[in-house]
Amino acid sequence: MIKIEKVSLSYDKRTVLEDITLNLKEKSFIGIIGKNGTGKSTLLKSIAGLLKPVKGNIFIDDKNVYDMKKNILARKISFMPQTMQFDFSFNVKDFIMFGRYPYTNMFKMASAEDFKTVEDVMKLTETSELEERNINELSGGERQKVLLAQTLVQQTDIVALDEPTSHLDIGSQATIFKLLKMLNEKYNKTIITTVHDLNLAGEFCSDIVFLDDKKVINFGSAEKVLNYKDIEKVYDVKVVVHTNPISKKPVVIPVYN
Amino acid sequence: MNKILKFVLLLIILVITFIIAMISGISDISVMEMLKSLFSTGEGNTYTIINQIRLPRVIIAIVAGAGLACSGCVFQGVLRNPLADPFTLGISGGAAFGASIGFAFGITKLSWIFLPLLGFLGALLSVGLVYILNMKKEFDSNTMILSGVVASYIFSSAVMLVFSISSSDQLYSAFMWLMGNLAFFDERILPMVIILVMAGVVILCCLGNVINIISLGNEKSNSLGINTARTVKYIFLLSSLITACIVSCCGVIGFVGLMIPHITRKFVGNNNKVLMPFSAVVGAIFLLICDTVSRTVIAPVEIPIGVITSIIGGLFFVFLLLRKAGKISI
Repeated sequence: MIKIEKVSLSYDKRTVLEDITLNLKEKSFIGIIGKNGTGKSTLLKSIAGLLKPVKGNIFIDDKNVYDMKKNILARKISFMPQTMQFDFSFNVKDFIMFGRYPYTNMFKMASAEDFKTVEDVMKLTETSELEERNINELSGGERQKVLLAQTLVQQTDIVALDEPTSHLDIGSQATIFKLLKMLNEKYNKTIITTVHDLNLAGEFCSDIVFLDDKKVINFGSAEKVLNYKDIEKVYDVKVVVHTNPISKKPVVIPVYN
Repeated sequence: MNKILKFVLLLIILVITFIIAMISGISDISVMEMLKSLFSTGEGNTYTIINQIRLPRVIIAIVAGAGLACSGCVFQGVLRNPLADPFTLGISGGAAFGASIGFAFGITKLSWIFLPLLGFLGALLSVGLVYILNMKKEFDSNTMILSGVVASYIFSSAVMLVFSISSSDQLYSAFMWLMGNLAFFDERILPMVIILVMAGVVILCCLGNVINIISLGNEKSNSLGINTARTVKYIFLLSSLITACIVSCCGVIGFVGLMIPHITRKFVGNNNKVLMPFSAVVGAIFLLICDTVSRTVIAPVEIPIGVITSIIGGLFFVFLLLRKAGKISI
């Protein structure tokens, strides 16, 4: 259970979010949506222990995230950044192994358990055939899968992801989100992700946090949050909300005239 | 090829280079004679040349090469910048400033200790400057590089200033020192340099994994449980100390810290856990070859080693780039 209590966050001395209170349930699949620059990533990073709130507290299982030892927190919640620069390209298998860092100390070599975990995760994320490739040679979709694999070998109950599918084609978007869904349903992981694409959020997330103007304007199921009134007000575009005939989930269609 | 096998092969090359370096020079000494004097307590010319002239110099070349290459690797990884090296951060600029003061005002003539001491103090001054500039910025890589470049500029202007107001007869020596020169170093300082640099190199090599994680960027490394700012600070101080030790007795030897890690990357990849020990040994071999060339090629005149490192290393790197044309990834 993640409790966000009266949290205010600022980024570059500018207040992005003010007095946010949220309770995120364990084993849920949470999507954070909102316009560019509303603080989706800021909120996500503060939950992951990367950005200390200026006011308020964040608790994971009743422990304050910013009082926890960093290596303990690293076994509780993992974080996949939106972009990673690779000035030096790593071999995919080495790269995924880096995610095991919280389980090794500075000098320790990777143990049999570390190798086993990496192997299992690579199978799960279908990255096994990439293991000898260099991270810089991969396509966008392959690279995101490898980043996800690195995040998963950290074996945390909570996985936080910052725009895991930006710049991906719809096929790769589906692959990543289906993986996340499987992790959520089969492996009981709590998934928290920021997402631009309202339809992906509607299709996959069990709960959606809708941010606007420094506040949470709505929080709940896709059907509840993705209503045309809020979307039109926030994004300043006319939309029609339909229901996906197969999954029965809401689909947002913009109307341009 | 297996990494361990490659490493053993490198060590064998190092030993061969060591033997060649020991027998080359103005006086002709055979391998047997060399080994005999090395492992016996003897008298005579050969013994003196081997043990008192060549051995200390060969050792400092190995130690300096390993230290520079290793810190170069560390700076590139930690600052996530392929162009970073111990000198980007202004360390050599500071050492050059300290040594120049020594030469220009005749302090180096007073005792052998003053040249390395002033060089070291100068290096510490510049490290201190970079450190202070970065304290509030949490050792962000861009700020680090920028402040290092600033420090370099300040100190190189200071060197020019010192030279322009001095009329010392030592300016030629100062010039030779600035280009990197193993002839200036005094063997009495050798044990200290060996201990400090080798201990530093061993520690850095053990930190390969941490450097890997840090090279993923602040967000990822923090989320993996590392206090990135603090770790970068300590690693920066340690590598700076190693570089300062080397520069203060060998002068400004360019190229090794920048290019040796890149050359090594071509053979073993970018995983710092593997790359660091390999770079250290490649650096040692490289500097030993360069020093041997610098003192034999137009003997008895010595070419500053910095000139040799840049020529040999530069050409070799051009060769590597041409050979892998189209697949360049430094």
